[in-house]
Amino acid sequence: MPSDSAFWVVQILNSMQLAMLLFLLSVGLTVIFGLMNFVNLAHGSLYALGALSSYSIAKALGGMWPAYVLAPLIVTAVGAVLYLTIIDRLRAAGPMKQVLASFGLIFVLIDAQRYIWGTDQLGVSHAPFAGSVMVLGEPYPAYRLFIIAVGAVVFALLYVLLERTRLGAEVRASVDDAETASCVGVNVERTFFVVFLIGCALAGLAGAVALPAFSAEAGMGVAILVPTLAVVIVGGLGSLTGAFLGSILIATTLTFGQVLFPRFASILMYALLVVVLLARPSGLLPARSA
Amino acid sequence: MRPVRLSRVFTVAAALAAAAPLAAEEYRVGILLPFSGVYAGLGNHIENGFNLGLDHFAGTLGPDRIVTFKADTEANPATGLAKAKKMVLQDRADLLVGVVSSAVLGALRDFVHQSRTPLVVANAGNDDATGQNCSPSIVRVSFSNSQINRPMGAWMGRQGIKKVFLIAPDYAAGHQMMEAFRSGFIANGGEIVGEAYPPLEGTSDYGPFLAAAKSARPDAVYAFFAGAAAIAFVKQYHDFGVDREIPLHGAGFLTSAAYVQVQGEAAHGITASLHYFPDLDTPENKAFQAAYQAKYDGAVASEFAVQGYDAARLVIEAIRAAAGDKEKVKSELAKVRFTGPRGPLKIDPATHNIVQNIYVFRNEFKDGKIVQHILETIADVQDPPNGCVM
Amino acid sequence: MAGNRTVEQIAAAILLVGLLGYWSAASSFGFELLAEIAVFAILAMSLDLIAGFTGMVSLGHAALFGTGAYLYALFAALWGWPAPLAMGAATVSTGVIALAVGAVVTRVHGVFFIMITLAVGEMGHEFFFKNRALGGDDGLAGIPRLDLSGLGIDLSDPARFALGLLLVMAAIYLLLDRMLLSPYGAALAGVRDNPKRMRALGLPVRAYQISIFAVSGTIAGFAGTLGAQHTMFISPQLLHWTTSGEILVMIILGGLGTLVGPVIGAVALVVLRHELSALTDYWGFWLGGFLILIVIGGKNGLIGWLEAAWRGAVRSRAGKVADAAR
Repeated sequence: MPSDSAFWVVQILNSMQLAMLLFLLSVGLTVIFGLMNFVNLAHGSLYALGALSSYSIAKALGGMWPAYVLAPLIVTAVGAVLYLTIIDRLRAAGPMKQVLASFGLIFVLIDAQRYIWGTDQLGVSHAPFAGSVMVLGEPYPAYRLFIIAVGAVVFALLYVLLERTRLGAEVRASVDDAETASCVGVNVERTFFVVFLIGCALAGLAGAVALPAFSAEAGMGVAILVPTLAVVIVGGLGSLTGAFLGSILIATTLTFGQVLFPRFASILMYALLVVVLLARPSGLLPARSA
Repeated sequence: MRPVRLSRVFTVAAALAAAAPLAAEEYRVGILLPFSGVYAGLGNHIENGFNLGLDHFAGTLGPDRIVTFKADTEANPATGLAKAKKMVLQDRADLLVGVVSSAVLGALRDFVHQSRTPLVVANAGNDDATGQNCSPSIVRVSFSNSQINRPMGAWMGRQGIKKVFLIAPDYAAGHQMMEAFRSGFIANGGEIVGEAYPPLEGTSDYGPFLAAAKSARPDAVYAFFAGAAAIAFVKQYHDFGVDREIPLHGAGFLTSAAYVQVQGEAAHGITASLHYFPDLDTPENKAFQAAYQAKYDGAVASEFAVQGYDAARLVIEAIRAAAGDKEKVKSELAKVRFTGPRGPLKIDPATHNIVQNIYVFRNEFKDGKIVQHILETIADVQDPPNGCVM
Repeated sequence: MAGNRTVEQIAAAILLVGLLGYWSAASSFGFELLAEIAVFAILAMSLDLIAGFTGMVSLGHAALFGTGAYLYALFAALWGWPAPLAMGAATVSTGVIALAVGAVVTRVHGVFFIMITLAVGEMGHEFFFKNRALGGDDGLAGIPRLDLSGLGIDLSDPARFALGLLLVMAAIYLLLDRMLLSPYGAALAGVRDNPKRMRALGLPVRAYQISIFAVSGTIAGFAGTLGAQHTMFISPQLLHWTTSGEILVMIILGGLGTLVGPVIGAVALVVLRHELSALTDYWGFWLGGFLILIVIGGKNGLIGWLEAAWRGAVRSRAGKVADAAR
């Protein structure tokens, strides 16, 4: 195993890049989870929708920049429809019914995506920030640094939104204690809806951002689902900083696990999940007071 | 006088009846492919190729006809087995064609063998299917994992490449491919300086493995990936600048026609070996590509499409050779030989695996597209029996 | 929403008669369908024990099914043990594993329980996926069936095998019905509905949860030994969380918290998948949509609809009698 610092710096950058992708996916899910007690298993399929829409937008408009803006909007629109037709109705039905409905939704979305975009892998070859920069003498893809930057900016924006705006205050109040919040005049239902839409937008953005680095196909949301759920649990329900830290922890486990114990890397992530669930089920930085 | 004339009529009638052709036979072919799930793309390519093959060759069957029906294996072994049983027991299939996943093939093997239903394998590459688990009922028209990689190992050794680092996903096919490469390479003076097996269903982040490859300082990296993983790997190999130091070689699925254009510039300079590539310059292939692209909206035919096309031709030629005797079709399948888009092919009677050319080619990015140039043709690659006893 | 035991018993009887009737007229593929239905019905009933009757929804149940199948394959196919011994050993071993896992996972509840069972199940899946001695992801073939030729029964005949599985399914139904009617079953319902109150009454809630998890796991392992004998081939896909999801779908389709619901769901899902996928490549769309409608519909699956119809009929009859009496 090489011990030069360049190797380790590159691995750290890799885990940061993965962490930022996971963060974009998990932050929406964690606030929805913490707020509405709703586990949306179809969240990964919204990520896939973001990537696939980005492909079509990039092809039609000749570049990725419109896609970074339009894909999240498309996914938000689809999310709104899903919320109004299905999810809102299930809010009172308890976590199990929601899990099952979202499980059914996975199949519906995957097949709809296959119908629209076909079964082959799709991708873009011209993305912004192509090429590499030198990091301690090792070439590192510039696009991955872009992904890290996007994640950091989104975190900063969400932090400001949560801590400094009225909407943010309403969200925090509703996560903390929905009944009391509604007694104080917070429109909890509307807050849920807005938070859900933001979560969808972020999933769409994650898909758009991931497309140039990887590829897009209809089933791509299923594989990313379990690491995302792991981040939500480990980081703590309903917590923005928890999602950020949880993403870093899970991404580091996966990345360095693959370096140090290649045969057991994924088992390591599941083991971490089990340990957190047993020791501290509310996660590292829970938003809700126990 | 009348009785004599009557008997003459009967004699003539009997003679005419004896010379009349047999009634037209209907051959029911069950197409068993994944149409949903992660391998749906391959399933569609194979089906497209098969249907084109029917278009081209079914006319030669004379009065006989082929009736096809399909079922979705979902690349799930239990589902694949249930659908195969349905096709044979309920839908009265005379023949089965397809199977993308080697796990599904493993699930079907005993059923197909015991029910003596001919199965033409149009993709699954597990060496054991024409090795220790071979069966007179199974004929493979696609490839075996060993067939793709062993000759490339030999070729790279002959080119003077001394040290190679192996990378493949951590599942049965990945390991089998690397083992085959290793045997060919070492026999030609090469040395494996390291290997890495990223998880099959992981986060598609190959950074750590690329770093491990670089630090082993090989002369070349040899890799096998397919599908989205191949796209991610090739892109990352380029983005991390590894291709500037260490040339990438691989099993041709790494730069399959199904997605090499998505890889684009990242695939430039990759040398690969495969039983087919679309730029193969033969009259049969040019005609095939033209017909395929005309029928399927300009889509370039991949190696999977060719497998389906050749499967259709194999079935049809076997039916013709059996001349109406359904029982004979099975043994005729193993005797078919023809020259198709991928070159000459025949079936090895000892293992029922295909014997075909393997092409070593290089990917070049020119004018915004990847073009594949042939470097060498390794003719008539045939697998050893590997424990097959028919 | 309380279930209606009469409706459930009648539905179970009609279903059994229907399945046996289908068996008597079935073709060779029909026997394969029946065997598949029977194995999944047993597996779904075992999951309903923890999900429906005790309120613990697991997304890792298929891992116990797969473990039973793999252990049977190891004992019978690789080590050459006689089938009855292999079945017994595999079932008991899976039960012990379920007991150990149950002791750990019952420490959390609700959605966290779903997550932890998912994680543990996936660890099991990874283990068998990477384990080349047991075939890895290519799977393992050549698994022998129970040999009852001493009793004059040939289980390699699909008709006999399917009938055997149907009878085993019916026997397990009756056994579980008995168990759930007992005080133990009543305690489980209490644990599902209000664990705090049960604790206040002095019941060792965790002991009940762990014990039912172990019972459920044992039956799932037994179903695994049956499933392995049916297909005579196993692969790690048996342990994947999407397989756990399918069993859950069966229970929801049929009716959670009943014993006949899982059986109805198993019949429905097996038949639907074959029929739908013969009609269209996009069968997932329709199946997923159907599932969402059932969940939104508010009734407890198909058995819930039957019970609602029964109540409606009873009420309108009572109304008519009251009208006539006026």
